[in-house]
Amino acid sequence: MPDRGLRSQGMRDLGPDEMARFRAVERAFLDATSAEGYREIRTPSIEPLHLYSASGTLSPQALERVYSFLDWNGWSGERVVLRPDTTVAVARWYGDQPAGGVERISYVQPAFRFAPEGEREVWQCGIELFGSAEGSDAEVLTLAQRFLAAAGIEDLSVELAHAGLARSAFAAAGLSAAEQLKAYDRMLEGDANLTAELAAAHPEGAAAVRVLADVDGSSAGYVANLRAAMPSVIPGADSALDDLEGAAKALDAAGVPYRILAGTARNFEYYTGITFRFRSGEQTVLSGGRYDRLAETLGGPSAPACGWAANVLGLIAVQS
Amino acid sequence: MTSEQEQPPVRVALPRGDLRTPVDEHLRGVDFLVEGYGSGARTYTFGVEERPGIAVRVFSDADIPIQVALGNYDLGIASKTWVDELLVRHRLDSVVPLRQLDVPTSELVLAGGAGASLAALAEGVVRVATEYPNLAAHYLANARVPDYRLFEVWAQAEAWPPQDAELAIAPRPTVEKEGLEVLGEVHLGGVWLIANRESLANRDLSAALEPLLRIPRATESRGIVTPQPLEITARKRSATAPVEREAFRIAVPDGHAMRHTVAALADAGIAFPGYEVGSTERYPDSGRDDVQVKVMRPQDMPRAVALGQVDLALTGRDWLRAFLATFPGAPVTELCDLKRSKYLLGAVVTEDLPVKTMDEAIAYWRRDDPEKPIRVASEYVSLADEYARSRHLGRYQVIPISGASEGFVPADAEILIEGTETGTTLRANRLTMIDVIMESTNCAIGSAVRPPGKRGELRDDFVARMARAAEAAVVE
Repeated sequence: MPDRGLRSQGMRDLGPDEMARFRAVERAFLDATSAEGYREIRTPSIEPLHLYSASGTLSPQALERVYSFLDWNGWSGERVVLRPDTTVAVARWYGDQPAGGVERISYVQPAFRFAPEGEREVWQCGIELFGSAEGSDAEVLTLAQRFLAAAGIEDLSVELAHAGLARSAFAAAGLSAAEQLKAYDRMLEGDANLTAELAAAHPEGAAAVRVLADVDGSSAGYVANLRAAMPSVIPGADSALDDLEGAAKALDAAGVPYRILAGTARNFEYYTGITFRFRSGEQTVLSGGRYDRLAETLGGPSAPACGWAANVLGLIAVQS
Repeated sequence: MTSEQEQPPVRVALPRGDLRTPVDEHLRGVDFLVEGYGSGARTYTFGVEERPGIAVRVFSDADIPIQVALGNYDLGIASKTWVDELLVRHRLDSVVPLRQLDVPTSELVLAGGAGASLAALAEGVVRVATEYPNLAAHYLANARVPDYRLFEVWAQAEAWPPQDAELAIAPRPTVEKEGLEVLGEVHLGGVWLIANRESLANRDLSAALEPLLRIPRATESRGIVTPQPLEITARKRSATAPVEREAFRIAVPDGHAMRHTVAALADAGIAFPGYEVGSTERYPDSGRDDVQVKVMRPQDMPRAVALGQVDLALTGRDWLRAFLATFPGAPVTELCDLKRSKYLLGAVVTEDLPVKTMDEAIAYWRRDDPEKPIRVASEYVSLADEYARSRHLGRYQVIPISGASEGFVPADAEILIEGTETGTTLRANRLTMIDVIMESTNCAIGSAVRPPGKRGELRDDFVARMARAAEAAVVE
């Protein structure tokens, strides 16, 4: 398509053919999720910035990539944003409901974030499960697999991690909350020196950190090995390992191959439990995790929560 | 003609204000002689002695990074605070900071009234006044301040705490002079030689670059400070009820608006000892306990009124209109016309344009390229934007400037949105106002909702006295 300079950078049109494919993916998504009791909602495109600026929501790096501006009420000094993330908005919505309790929510809507070259409006379809702890990791993982299969996405595999494991290992090595964020980013980038630094800071936990950070697991056996290495030297690892084991079993049952890594999710701050990425070949097609503190951080009730989101246009690209 | 002569000049932007003297000394030290620059000549464009092919233009410090980013200037010398204020938000790679020059500057700091602490303030809504909203937003995001209000002010952010904001982000000497407590550094300052990337890549700038790179350098400071984040706290947002004040608060302007305001008050039989032309008293004496007077920038008054911090403010109608163009729902309104300080605000273009109307001018600028963006420079960014939309300029760019508007047209913008009292300055610069946007006079503004009780009565009384005096002055 010739660029006549009449579209804003990072924005795209969806022509009739692309819209037909968009709607097909959307139908597969809504059919799969509504069959499991998920109800669709839509949140505003413009939200107050403060919804996203508290610790435990968006990281400072992500915050600097939001479209923030002063709207007509901006004389009060309060900025607004174009919705940069739907999970935070759904958590706010959940806190606004009088009942609380269990809510199974689905959505199809765009998120807006600055990207130097790529798309700045990303159409996402996703689910959020608020207020239910027992078996909810397995529920959302299984639903992800069903949706992707229905949408015709093939060659699926999963990368699985647990935010609590890395956090516990970093805390045992004496890292502050801010240092943990930096260490986590280094770990995702595969910084080889990190393990050595953590081992030096906490020699007792060195073997456990090496199993976690330097070895990728591919079966429930790896979780058993972590269990042998971690709990005695890294406080708080036990329940994280239970979560990981439950997720691994759900994927085994769904017949999806997986790898267990030390970390998967970039926006580490709001995740408290498992995090995962579904891949089709080498392409990430869906990602999510658990964020048990999010609703409370936004002034709502304390409620366990997990979910995932997929980039609709990314799925269409993979289909073709 | 040789190919060297065909090259357009290397364009260099130099700062006005406090940096002028130290920068001029360094330029002399490397034989880059810009005659008249250091002595503060009123001209704004200069050549460089014995260095043909270099054109120098003087700008407000804050405007230089924007001019270099736009590619209007190849090289510039500017405070790193203003460079980073632009880059921290817009992530432009068109500006290349080359080296820090040995020119002392002060840091930007976060400061509050006695006993202020960031951690304690993070519990509720934090109000922060600053001239540097982008650096402030970066700092507050990284400090993980959960809920803040940024008051972008034109000057004197340090005057806002503790009463009208919890915190200010401003240069260290000004906050210390104001008696505020410094809570942390936001930017470490520095003066830099900067370049436009495209120019560096494609043009021979060596005639200017070589001498400018011989200016003694300073140890590079890291510039932007990233603070330690606050610990995660659960949200405790509650609707903050406005604080009910007993005292009636009046804001009066500083700067060149002072003369007309002092005269308007005198006509109405009102005097505030300490508020006279030339004085720098921040809180002049009102002569009574239930009235407080504060001197502030006229540009900042509409916001202060909208926020309920001030009951009555004496400002220009241009600033009220500019504020309402940005925030149409703000509860601030004109209460009476003081009928002084009359001038026209409008669209200014070069006299050399062979046209009579704006429509003809637009056609003339686009005669070769129908998609050419029209550049509109102004201190009144929102009015410039409103003008460009209402006149259907099509594709346009609004270039914010902070003073020193002479000479922008025609080199750096097609249109200037500017005020003129007599037209003398415009004519001297070969400019003409082709379209009038509004006639501005000074006026009294207040909340759209009359304050309750005694404050409402005082407002009625002040407004009535000033309105009577303004009418009488016109009759005379």
